[in-house]
Amino acid sequence: MIDDPDWLDVLAGELRLRGLPEDQVTRVLGETRAHLWDAGEDPARAFGTPSAYAAAVHESLGTPPIPARRKVVRAEAPRLQATGIGKRHGRHRLLHDVDLTVHAGEVAAIVGANGCGKSTFLRICAGVERAHAGRVVVRGSIGYCPQGGGTSDFLTPDEHFVLVGAGRGLGRDRSRGAGRALAEHLWWPRPAPIAAARLSGGTRQKLEVILTALGDPDVLLLDEPYQGFDRDSYMYFWDRVREWANEGRAIVVVTHLLDRLERADTVVDLTPSPHAAPGVRGRHHPKGTQPR
Amino acid sequence: MRRLSTIAEMTGREILRRRAVLFLLLLFPLPFYLLQRAEHPGQAIRFLFVGLSWAISGSAMFVAHSGRAIDPRLRLSGYRAHHLWMGRMSALWLIGTVVTLPYLALVVVDQPRVRHGALAVAMVLCVAVAAPFGLLLGAVVSREFEGTLLLLVTVGIQMVADPATTTARLMPFWSGREIGTYAIDHTDTGFLVRGVAHGLACALLFSLALAVVSALRLRRRRHLRTLPAN
Amino acid sequence: MNAERHSQWLRGVLDLCVLSLLADGESYGYRLAQALEAAGLGTIRGGTLYPVLLRLERDGLISSRWGVGDAGPARKYYRSTPLGEGELRAAADEWSVFAARVGTMLEGVRQ
Repeated sequence: MIDDPDWLDVLAGELRLRGLPEDQVTRVLGETRAHLWDAGEDPARAFGTPSAYAAAVHESLGTPPIPARRKVVRAEAPRLQATGIGKRHGRHRLLHDVDLTVHAGEVAAIVGANGCGKSTFLRICAGVERAHAGRVVVRGSIGYCPQGGGTSDFLTPDEHFVLVGAGRGLGRDRSRGAGRALAEHLWWPRPAPIAAARLSGGTRQKLEVILTALGDPDVLLLDEPYQGFDRDSYMYFWDRVREWANEGRAIVVVTHLLDRLERADTVVDLTPSPHAAPGVRGRHHPKGTQPR
Repeated sequence: MRRLSTIAEMTGREILRRRAVLFLLLLFPLPFYLLQRAEHPGQAIRFLFVGLSWAISGSAMFVAHSGRAIDPRLRLSGYRAHHLWMGRMSALWLIGTVVTLPYLALVVVDQPRVRHGALAVAMVLCVAVAAPFGLLLGAVVSREFEGTLLLLVTVGIQMVADPATTTARLMPFWSGREIGTYAIDHTDTGFLVRGVAHGLACALLFSLALAVVSALRLRRRRHLRTLPAN
Repeated sequence: MNAERHSQWLRGVLDLCVLSLLADGESYGYRLAQALEAAGLGTIRGGTLYPVLLRLERDGLISSRWGVGDAGPARKYYRSTPLGEGELRAAADEWSVFAARVGTMLEGVRQ
C-alpha cells in the first residue's frame, strides 16, 4: 500500500485533536506521505496506529502529552450518584435498590442478561424515564446515547452535528468541526453528505456516539454504543472512552461483552442472583472482584 | 434564538428530503379542488381548504413522529421543550404558506368572482391551525397509522357535516368553510368574523395544548437532580 | 541479539547517529533510515525516526527545507546547524568515554 488516504486523514485528525497548529499538521502529513511514497510500506507498519504516532509527534514537538491515566479524586463529589433505584413494570419488579457512583475520570460498566433492565437503568440515570424509587444526582451536563433512534433518518451527519451543537451552545462551524474531529477518532474520516437512513448500521451507530460526546458533556451515558462496529472501530471506541475519562468525564457504558470489563473501574451486574430473594438485584462489584 | 432557528431549519431540511411528504403537501390538495370545480365551484374552494389543512397537518404529524425518537437526546443536549415545538411549528407555517400560494393563484385566476382577500385569509388560517393540530396529533398518538386514521376521520367529518351545525363548529378546520362562504357567496361580514375568530382560537388552543404535551413528555423526571459541575 | 535491549540502546543514541549523518550533508527521512540500516543499526521505522527529527529541529540542532526531487512528493530535507555540530562534537567525546567505561566493565566476561 503506497498511500492510504484514510490512515493519513485519521492522523491529521489526531494531530489536530492534540492541538497542533495547522501548519505543523501540514508539515507532518507531507513528510509522512513522502516517506510512505519512498518506502512503499503499509502506513500502520511504518508508523503504527495514527493515534500512537500523533502522540509521539506531539511529544517531540514539546507540548505535554495527554496523561496516561488521570488520577481519580474520590474525595471530590461524584459526577453521577444513583441510590436505591427501583423500577416496576406492573407487578414485575425490574430494578430493585440499584446503586451506582461514578467519579470524574471513571468508567462504569452495566452488565447483565437480556431484559434485566440495563437500558432502563441508563434511561433513569439520564432522567428520560421515571423511577419508582431512589434518586439520581448528576453534577454537570449529560450526554445520553440511546440504543438506536437518537438520530434523524433525513438529516446528514453534518446537519446532526449542527443540530446537537446548537443545543450545547456551539456555533455552526464549531459544531461541524467538533463532530468531524470525533468522527475521525472513530475511524470515520469523512462523513459523507447523505441522509442518516442511508448510512450503514455501524456508521450510524458512530454518529450516535459522536452526538453524545459533542460539546463535551460531563457525564456520558452510552447504551451498547458499539453495535455494528468493525474490529478497528471497536478498539478505537474503547480508546476514546479511556481518553474521555482521562479528560475528567464520568462514563457509564451498558455492555454485554465481558472481555472488555478490564477497562471499567466499576461493574454493576443487574442479572438477578439465584440466591437472593426474587427480584432483588443490583449487585455491585468493585474493580477486581467482578465475575469472569 | 439560535436553538429555535436551528430546529426550524432542520425541520425544513427534513421535509424537503421526504419525497412522500413533499408530494402530499404539493399535490394532495389539488384533486379536492378539481373534482368539484366544474359543477360546484364554491364547494371546490371549501374542499380545497380542507385538502390544504389535511396535507399540512399530515406533514406536521410526520414531523412530530420523526422527532419523537431524537427528542430526548435534543432535550439533554440543551434544548427546552418549547424550542422543539416552536421551531417545528415555525418551519411548518413557513412551508405551509409557500405551498398555499400557488393554490391561491389558481383560484384567483380560475374564479374571478370570489372575494380574493378573504380567500387569502382563510388559507393563512388553514396553515395556522393545521400545523399545531398535526404536531399535537403526532405528540399524542404514538403510531403513524393511528394518527393518520384519526386525521382521516377529522377531515371526513369536517367535509360531510353541515357547516351550520355544532358538530361542524367543533371541528378544527371549520374556519375555512365559514370564510369560504363569505368569499364565495358574498354573505355578510359576520361569516368572516366568526371564521377568523374560530381559526385564531383553534390555532391558539392547539398551540397551548402542544406546549403542555411537549413539556410533559420531555419533562425531567423528579428523581433526577442536576447540579453544576464541580 | 536481544531485540528489546538493542532498541533501548538505539533510543539513547539515535539522535546522535542522525546528527552525524547530517553532518556529512543534507538528507531526508527515508534516505536517513536507509543509511542507518546500511550502517548496521537495523530497520528504523518511520514512527521512530521522524519524532527524533522533529525533536532535533525543535531544539535547533538541525534545520529543514522542503525540496522537490526528480520523482514523488515534496520531501523535507534536513541539515545540521552550527549548534547541532557543536552538540555532536561534545556528545561524541562523552560517548567515547562512556562506551570505553562500559567496554572495560564487560571486557572481563568476554571469551
